[in-house]
Amino acid sequence: MSKKILLATTGSPASFGAARVAFQMAKRYGSEIIVFHVIGLPTKAYSQIVHDVRTGDEVQVDDDYKSWVEDELRNTYARQIEEAEGGVSFVLTTGVPHREILRTARSEDVDLIIMGASSGSIDHIDYKGYTGSTLQKVAKAAKCPVMTVHRESAAYRGGFNHVLFCTDFSKQANHAFKYALNTARECDCDMTMFHALDVGGKVLAQNEIEDRLIEARKRMRSLYGSQMGDFKNYDVEAWEGIPYMEIVKLARERMADLIVMAHHAGESDSDEARLGSTLEQVILRASCPVVSVNKPDKV
Amino acid sequence: MYDLLTGPLLWLVFIVTFVGLIVRVVMYIRGLNWKLDRVAYRPHLGHGLKHAARSIVFFLIPFGTHSWRSRPLFTILFFAFHIGLLVTPIFLEAHNVMLEKSLGIRLPGLPAGVADMLAWTVVVGGLFMVLRRIAFSDVRILTTAYDYILIVISVAPFATGLIARYELGNYDFWLIAHILTGEIWLLALPFTKLSHVVLFFMSRMQLGMDYGIKRGGMKGTSMSW
Amino acid sequence: MPEGTLCNKQPINTDEQLKLVLNDKGGKQYYAEMEQLDVDTEKLWNTIQKTMKSRLKTWLEICAHCGLCSESCFLYQVNGRKPEQVPSYKIQSTLGEIVKKKGQVSNEFMRHCMDVAWSWCTCCNRCGQFCPHGIDMGVMFSYLRGLLYSQGFVPWELKIGSGMHRVYRAQMDVTTEDWVETCEWMAEENEEEWPGLEIPVDKEGADIMYTCNAREPKHYPEDLAEAAILFHVAGENWTVPSEGWEQTSLSMFAGDWECCKDNVENVYAAIERLKPKRAIGTECGHAHRATVIEGPYWVGREDGQPPVPFMHYVEWLLEALETGKIKIDPAKRIKEPVTLQDSCNYVRNQGLKNVTRKIIEYIVEPGYFREMAPNKEYNYCCGGGGGFNGIGKYRPQRNVALLKKLQQIQDTGAKLVIAPCHNCWDAIRDLEEEYEIGIRWSFLKPLVINMMIVPDHLKPEE
Repeated sequence: MSKKILLATTGSPASFGAARVAFQMAKRYGSEIIVFHVIGLPTKAYSQIVHDVRTGDEVQVDDDYKSWVEDELRNTYARQIEEAEGGVSFVLTTGVPHREILRTARSEDVDLIIMGASSGSIDHIDYKGYTGSTLQKVAKAAKCPVMTVHRESAAYRGGFNHVLFCTDFSKQANHAFKYALNTARECDCDMTMFHALDVGGKVLAQNEIEDRLIEARKRMRSLYGSQMGDFKNYDVEAWEGIPYMEIVKLARERMADLIVMAHHAGESDSDEARLGSTLEQVILRASCPVVSVNKPDKV
Repeated sequence: MYDLLTGPLLWLVFIVTFVGLIVRVVMYIRGLNWKLDRVAYRPHLGHGLKHAARSIVFFLIPFGTHSWRSRPLFTILFFAFHIGLLVTPIFLEAHNVMLEKSLGIRLPGLPAGVADMLAWTVVVGGLFMVLRRIAFSDVRILTTAYDYILIVISVAPFATGLIARYELGNYDFWLIAHILTGEIWLLALPFTKLSHVVLFFMSRMQLGMDYGIKRGGMKGTSMSW
Repeated sequence: MPEGTLCNKQPINTDEQLKLVLNDKGGKQYYAEMEQLDVDTEKLWNTIQKTMKSRLKTWLEICAHCGLCSESCFLYQVNGRKPEQVPSYKIQSTLGEIVKKKGQVSNEFMRHCMDVAWSWCTCCNRCGQFCPHGIDMGVMFSYLRGLLYSQGFVPWELKIGSGMHRVYRAQMDVTTEDWVETCEWMAEENEEEWPGLEIPVDKEGADIMYTCNAREPKHYPEDLAEAAILFHVAGENWTVPSEGWEQTSLSMFAGDWECCKDNVENVYAAIERLKPKRAIGTECGHAHRATVIEGPYWVGREDGQPPVPFMHYVEWLLEALETGKIKIDPAKRIKEPVTLQDSCNYVRNQGLKNVTRKIIEYIVEPGYFREMAPNKEYNYCCGGGGGFNGIGKYRPQRNVALLKKLQQIQDTGAKLVIAPCHNCWDAIRDLEEEYEIGIRWSFLKPLVINMMIVPDHLKPEE
C-alpha cells in the first residue's frame, strides 16, 4: 500500500472527501501523509501579493501568514491527524496549484497523490491562460497514481474491499492494471476487470458487438490473467455502452470501493477531450475514489 | 540710426548669431556619449547617418510622418508658420537689395504679393499659436511666459515689417522697429529655445541614429519616426 | 531620520536584507520610512552633472511645448485627458524641475517624482515618435528612475526586484540548483511523450544557448518544457547555461544601472563560457531589451552588440517555420478571430514588427487575423509595462491604464490575443480579471506545439 501520500487540499469542504480517504488510508495502512496546500496563486507578475485560494483576498505571504494557515489546517483535521499512524507533515507554498503539487510530489518522492476534483474552477481567471484543470494536469504528469475523490459520499468508510479495474488495453492501462492488482493483493480484496465497448455515436451489428466482447474478454484474460500469479479473486466483464456510464453502473452494482483506470497523456490538451474524457466523467459520477495511472514508476 | 543698425550692428548680430549657432551644434555633438546615450554612433556610422537623414527628411515633409498625420490642422498651421518664417526674410526683395549693395550678390527675389502673403501667414500663424496655447488644456499646461515671449520675438519683425510696408503711421519709426526686432530675433536664435533652428536637426539626427542603429534600423526595419 | 532600515539609498545586496524588506507587508513600513528619507541634494546634482549630457539637456531645453505628444500617450487618453498627463509636462515638472533647481528638491517632491516616474509613464517610448524635435520622454523617464533609485525613492517591489537580481542573479529566488533541477524535471516529465527530449545544461559549442525569465522555472516550467519540445522537434543543437540563464532585468525598471550591468555580464559570461553560435531568449519583451538592446551598452561593448547574435524567440520561431524545421498542420491552424499584441520592447524598440506577423501567416487560417489599431511600432503599451504590473501601490492606476488595451482588443472583436511577451501576457491576464471581457491569451509556444506536425521518428512508440 502507498507509503507516502500527498494530500493536496484546498482546506475547503470540497476537499474533505479527499482528506477523509487519505487519513483513513493513513490510519489503516500506516501511510505517511503530507498535507499540501497552495496558499496563494502568483498573479501579479513579480508582485509579492497573491490571491488567497479560499477567500480570493489579496494577501502577502510571509512566515506569519503561513503559520496561521497551517494552524487552520491543523484544526480542520485535528482529530484525523491524531489518529494517523505514519506521521503527518505540512507543505504550504505559493504558485500554480498543479505545478506545485507535481513539484512536491517529485521532491518528496510520494507514492500516491490524493486530491479533490473540484478544487478551483477551471473558469477561474487563474486557470484560464492554460487549458485543462489542475486535476488533469496533475494526472497527466505525475509519476505516481493520482486518486481523486470528487463527492464526499465517495469517501470510503473502511478498507478497500472491491477494486474495479477498467481497461482500454492501452499501455497506460497496463500500468493501471499493475496498480490495481497490487492494491487488491495488499488489501486482500476482490477485483473486477472490465472493458466497456464504446458504441456511442455509431451503429454496430449485434454480431459484431458480440464478437468484439468475446475478443475483449479473451484479451483481458491473456493480457492480465498471465500477470495474476497466485491472485485468484478476480473476474472479467465486458459489455457495450457509453464507457463512463457502464463503468459507474458496474461500480455501483459490485459495490466497488475503488476504481482504477488509465489516464491518457494525449487526451488532456484539447477542450473536447477535457469535457468528453471517460476518466473525467467517471470521477464526477463515481461514488468511490478513482485512481488514475499514467506512468509505470510508482505502481 | 538706420546706417548703424544696418551696418556694423547688423554685422555684429550676424556674427554672434552664426557663431552662436555653430557653437550649439559643436557642443551638442561633443556632448553625445555612446555609453550614456546607449547608441554606438561610431561603429555603425553609415547606418546611423542613413536613418538620421531619413528621420530629418520625413519630419520636414508635411504629413510625412505618423505624427504629422495625426494632427492635420496643427500640421498645416505649423508648416505655414515655419515656411513663412524662413522663406520671407531670405528671399524678400528689399533684403536682397541690401545684400546686393553690401556684398554685390543677390538671391532670387519673391514677388511682392507672395512675400506679403507669407508675412501675413506668419503673423496670423503666430496668433493662432497663441490662441492654441490658451484654448487647449494640454498645451496650456505646458505653456510658460517664455513661450509667449518667443512667439512675440518671432512674429514682431513680420508685424513691424508689414506695418512699414503698408506705410501705416510713421514709416521711419516702423522701419527702425522692424530692423531692431529682426536683430533681436536673430540674436535670440542661439541663446533661447529658438536654437531649435539647428538643434532640431541635431536632436532628430540623434534619434534617427538611435533607431537606425539600436532600435530596429540594423534589423532592416525602417520606421518613419 | 535620514536613512530607514528598509527604505534607504543602499541597494539590497544580502539575503538577510532582502528578507527583511520582503517581510514588510505591502511595503507599509518601507513607504513610511520613505517619508522621512533625506535627499542627498549634493550627490543628486553631481550625478546629474556627470551623466546628463547634451542629448537630455537639449531635450529639456528645446521642448517647444507644442503638445503634440499629448495624444500619443495612452495614459493621457485613459486618464480623462488630464493635462497633467501630457508627457512633456510629466517630465518637465519632474526631471525638469530637479535640473532647474540644481538638485535642491524636497523629500515630498522626490516622492511625487516617484509616483510620476512609475505610475504615469511605462517608458513605452511611444511619445518619442510623435515629437517633431525627436524628444523621447521614455528615455528621460528611464533616466529619472535612475536618479530616484540612487536616492532611495523607488517602489517597494522594484527595490526587492533589483535586490533579487543582486542576491540571486534572477528576478525571483531561483538558485542555480533550482534551475538545473527544473531542467531535469521538465525533461523527465515530458520524455515519455517526446522520446529523446533533453534539456542539455552547459553544453559547450552548441548552436543555440537559450535563456529565459525566472518566472518560468519558478511558476510556469511548462514554458521551459515547451521551448525544449520545439527545439527538439526542430532538431536544434541547443543548451541552457547553469549560470546566466536569467535574461530579465527588473533592475532596468528600477533604474538600478549597476545591477543591470551585472545581470547582463552574467549572461554574456555564459556565452563566453559555452561558446554557442548564437543565443535565443524566451518570449519576453523587457528581457530582450535588457540583454540584447541596452545590455551591450551597460557592459561597455563599443559596437552595441551582444557577444554573439542574440535573437528574440519570435525571430527563431519564424526562422524555424521558414526553413521547415517546424511544420504546421494547416488543419490545426487558428480558426477564430485572433489579434496580436506588439510588445513595445522589441517592436517599437527593435523593429521586429514583421516577424510576428509572418508567424501569424503560418499559424492562423487566412481571414481570421485582426490587427489592433494602431499597431506595429505605433501600438500602445499593454498597460502594465515598465514595472507597472508588479507594483502594488500603483494597482489602481495600473487598472485604469489597462483600459486602452481593453478597448483596442474589443475593437478587433478577437477572443484570443497572442502575446509573445511576459509583461503583455500578464497585463492582458489582469485585464480579463478586472474587466471580464471574455478573452483568452497565449504565448506562441503552446499554440505552435498544438498545431505542428510531429515527424514520425519523434513520436512515442505505441
